[in-house]
Order: sequence, then structure tokens, then C-alpha cells
Amino acid sequence: MEPPVLDLRHVRKIYKGRVEALRGIALEVPKGSVFGLLGPNGAGKSTLVKILTTVIRPTKCEGTMLGHPVGHKPTLRRIGYLPENARFPGYLSGRQVVEYSAGLAGIPSRRARPRVDELLELVGMKDWAQRKVRTYSKGMKQRVGLAQALVNDPELLFLDEPTDGVDPEGRREIRIIIDEMRSEGRTIFVNTHLLSELEQVADRVAILSKGEVVRAGDLMELTKARQEFEIVVASEIGEELAAALREKGATTEARTVLSRGANPEVVQPLIDLLRARGAIIQSIQPKRMSLEELFLEAVEEARAENRP
Amino acid sequence: MTAIVTLLIDSYRLLKARVLFWITLGISGLVGLVYLSIGFNDSGMTLFFGLIPLEHSELRRGSELAELFYIGIFTKFIVPLWITWIAIILGLISTASIFPDFMTEGSIELSLSKPVHRLKVFLTKYVGSLLFMFIQVGLFTVLVFLALRWRVGTWNPSVLWMVPLSVLVFSYLYAVVVLVNVMTRSTLAGILFALLIWFMSFVMNFVEGNLYTYAFTDAGKDDPEMQEMLKPWYRGSRLAYTVIPKTKQTTEFGDRMIKVKGKQGFSTEDFTGIIFGGMIQEGGLEGVDQVMRRNSGFYVIGSSLLFEGALVAIAAGIFCRRDF
Repeated sequence: MEPPVLDLRHVRKIYKGRVEALRGIALEVPKGSVFGLLGPNGAGKSTLVKILTTVIRPTKCEGTMLGHPVGHKPTLRRIGYLPENARFPGYLSGRQVVEYSAGLAGIPSRRARPRVDELLELVGMKDWAQRKVRTYSKGMKQRVGLAQALVNDPELLFLDEPTDGVDPEGRREIRIIIDEMRSEGRTIFVNTHLLSELEQVADRVAILSKGEVVRAGDLMELTKARQEFEIVVASEIGEELAAALREKGATTEARTVLSRGANPEVVQPLIDLLRARGAIIQSIQPKRMSLEELFLEAVEEARAENRP
Repeated sequence: MTAIVTLLIDSYRLLKARVLFWITLGISGLVGLVYLSIGFNDSGMTLFFGLIPLEHSELRRGSELAELFYIGIFTKFIVPLWITWIAIILGLISTASIFPDFMTEGSIELSLSKPVHRLKVFLTKYVGSLLFMFIQVGLFTVLVFLALRWRVGTWNPSVLWMVPLSVLVFSYLYAVVVLVNVMTRSTLAGILFALLIWFMSFVMNFVEGNLYTYAFTDAGKDDPEMQEMLKPWYRGSRLAYTVIPKTKQTTEFGDRMIKVKGKQGFSTEDFTGIIFGGMIQEGGLEGVDQVMRRNSGFYVIGSSLLFEGALVAIAAGIFCRRDF
């Protein structure tokens, strides 16, 4: 088994003024996966990425990134980064922004040129490449930001709110690019609050709350663990039937019965009961918990645990 | 190396994008053109490419004094008034926002997340900002160099000393700007502190220079008791003067490096003698030259560079350790 691209333990960050932004994060990100880091505002998502990209110095950090200790500057040659609210100098054109990023990554301009062309085409900015960044919309800036993050052909790509300000079409394109990157064997680490976007591409997720990981794992596993069966009947469920269903652990709402559990056996007694009471069953389907529901539940639980 | 070249190219692009860069360059071109328009003929000198003739018995085509006069206009008027005064102020205003802009959230990450050490990023950015002065003064001085050849017929590469010296003066002040920028992220505070240090340098130069004049030159020879009394004051003022950048004296150091008529060092006495003719007694301005030369070049530039180095080191230390 290949070692994880990111293997973090005890990542802590205490800012001046004793604000504890990260409280001992432990994470593993497998190679070739799309990893989503979620969390409410101020949870510490950007702080973690900034520590990994050496923009912020950790108070404590154990573990490795691409096989080297976090903070090892030469390793940054193998990573790409699109910061949140990236601000590119307005006096540069889109092409110059990507070239600047290539130059700082140590790629000579002659080698960078074809790659820059290719990336500008990939993000749909080829026709705007010579225009100054100050004339770009937010979405266009994000596209250029994505191109500059990819210019050094990174093995690990950090995207902090990559779809921020991007229109639906652009979001779809970014999703496709992320998919392509994954199929090329790259690892993509995405920070986002757009859960529906992430749900479509992520393999693994971690949920941060107040500087701590409150849930982490395979996305399918996490949502499956809270799988439900949804039974829809033809007419509204009466009070008497609803009480009987509740006795069997189900919840009801209008014409819908919800039963928690991944195993189909749990739903059989409910079907029997409904049929015995003459209810006409229209549909039965397993229903996964959405990422948004998982996220809200995890954050709410974390808050409840912290409450005095 | 690729990263350094990239940062320097970026600095050049940034300066080019500033309106003040082009305004300063435009004024430099205009001043250069006016300088170039001064010429000499058989009966004296002319202004504005011969439009205004001025008869002069000494300042004529081929006369020895013509070269001295022509260089004097450059070193005594253009350098102190334009290059090391107005151009520096415009330069400071133009470059003072470079570091605050660079350190903005969303912008700094693009550079710091790359495999380049922070110190290298900082120092290259610092040196890149000095390009403003280098380009401005460099182009202007080359124009002066060519004008000298055209107007007085000599190639005088010693005038090119003004390029590194002007950039040095600018760099002393820019170090103040950068330190304040890094500490406060404020453009305005950077400019204000730099102007304050510049003013202090001017005052200290005035005090130390005058104490020297009356304690050590002929200006105070009539009162030996007073001279003796002033000597410890001079030593105290020199001590204080040592720790601040010597902007005026660094500029004046250019006079010492310029060669006129094959002789090293531009003489204020000779130059003023040409302008005012017999109005000034021979030897009357020797003291001025003596005061200008009172401190060695090693002391003037060395101590100023120490000041700059200390400020840059503190700023670099803060920059390298800061969480952005």
C-alpha cells in the first residue's frame, strides 16, 4: 500500500493573543484521492492549508507531506496552491500571473511557455490571457488562479474555496478538471463550504470544528453509516398508524416513513405493518445522508459537546 | 536563480504600471533636454539650442571653463534639486506601497507557498524596488554623459558615479519605508517615517557641518577660544550623526568622484568663481570644499550602509517569522 500523501499528527496553531486555531489535527490523505476539508467559518481550514504551504508557522506539527516533514521548502516544488480570495497583481495579464507562478516554482520560462498555453486553454482563459487581471471578473480570476496552481505539474494540489465567485458552468468545469487531475494520479485537497459541489467529487472528507477534526473518513462510508430507507405511501398517514410506526423506530411525515439503518431487514416490519393497515406503498428506496446533513450533524454534535 | 529573475521582472512590471514612474521619467527627460540645450559658441554660451545667446568672455566653445561649468550645472543644480530631492520623493511615493500590497492576504500566499526561502523573496523584492531610482537616474545620467560629449567634447564616465550614489541615497530612505511597512503594513506611515529620518539627516548634517566649519576651518580662526570650545560639541554631534544615514554627504561624495580637466574632484570654489567672476575672492570658498570633504567616503557611505543594513535585517527578520 502506498504511503499517504499527507500524514499529519498533532498539528497545533496558537496565534498571538492565545487564540487556538488548531487543536491537534490528525489527518491522512491517500495518494490519488480528492480530499475535502469542511468546516464552518473560523474552524481552521485555511490555517491548516497555510501551515502545509509554509505561509503560517505551526506551533506544533508532526507528520509528513509527500514523504518530507511539513515545512520542507523543496517539497513545495511538488505542490500547487490556490489561496482563498486570491489577489493577483492588477498590472499583470493572466498569462503573466501563470508565468510568475512558474518562475517562483523554479521553472525556466522556455519550459514553462507551452505548459502555460495548455493550462490557459484548460481553464478557458486562452482568449483573455493577454488582458490585465484588473479587468477580470471574480470567476475569471479563479480560473487563472487554478492555472497558476497547476503550472508546476503538482502531485498535491491545495484548492481553498476554488469555486468561490465562479458561475455554475465554471463550477462544472472546475469539477471536471479536478476529476481529470485525480485520474492522472494527483491528490487534490479541497477546502470549501459548497458541500454539494464537494459531494460530487470528493473521495474522503474531514470536518473541522473549532480547530478539531470531528469526523473524517471515506465519504461513502460516512454517509452510508447514516443510511435511511424512505417509504412513500399513496395517502396521508393517520395518527394511529403513525404511532404504530414510531413504536417500530420509524419517523413519519405526511406520506413519508423514514427508517434508519443500512440493512434492508430493518424496513421489512414497517412494510408488513403498512400493508396490514391497508396503506398503498408507492415507493421504497434507500436514502443516503447528504454531505450537508452529515456536516450539520457533526458540527452540531461538536457544539453540544463543548457546551457547559 | 529563476525565482530571483522572476521577482525582478515582476518588480519592473510593477514600476512600469505606476503613473508616477512615467511622470518622473517625463520630467527627467525634460530636465535632460533643457540641459542638452545649453551650448557654447565662439562668443559665449547659448540656451535652448541657440535661441538665447549669452556673451561671455571665458565660457566659450573650447574653453577650459566650459567643461567645468557644464558639469557644475549637473552636480550643483540638477543632482541636488532634481535627482536627490524631487525624484527621490516621487520614488518613495511610488514604491512605498510595494510591500503592503505584496503582504496582502490572498497575494502573499502566491509567493510564500513556492520553494523559495522567505529571505530571498524579501531581499529580491527590496532590491527590485530600488529599480525605480536606478532606471530613472541611470537613463538621465546617460543622457548627461552624452550631452557632455556633444557640448564640451569630452567623454566623462565619472559622471556615472551619480547613478550608484543616488540609488544609495534612495535605498537608505527606502529601508525606513520597508521596515515601517513590514511592522505596520501602512504605506503612509512608511513615507512619513522616511521623511522624518531624511529631515533628521538634513538637520544633523547642518549641525555637524557648521560645528566643523567653526571649530576646524579658517571661518573660526579669529576666535581660537571659541574654536576650542566647539570641538567637544563637534565630537558629540559627529557621534550622533554617525548612526543616521548621510543623504546629503553621500550625494556630495559624487563631487569628489567626478573628474574635471583630468583632475579628480569637483571644486565648488572653481565653479562659483566662474558664475560670479571676480565677485568672490580667490580662496574664499576653499572652506566650503573643505567642509564637504570633512568625512571620508568610507565613513559617509559605510555608516549609512550600516544603518540601512540594520533596518533591512530587522524588517527581514519580521517578514521571515510572520504568519500571513
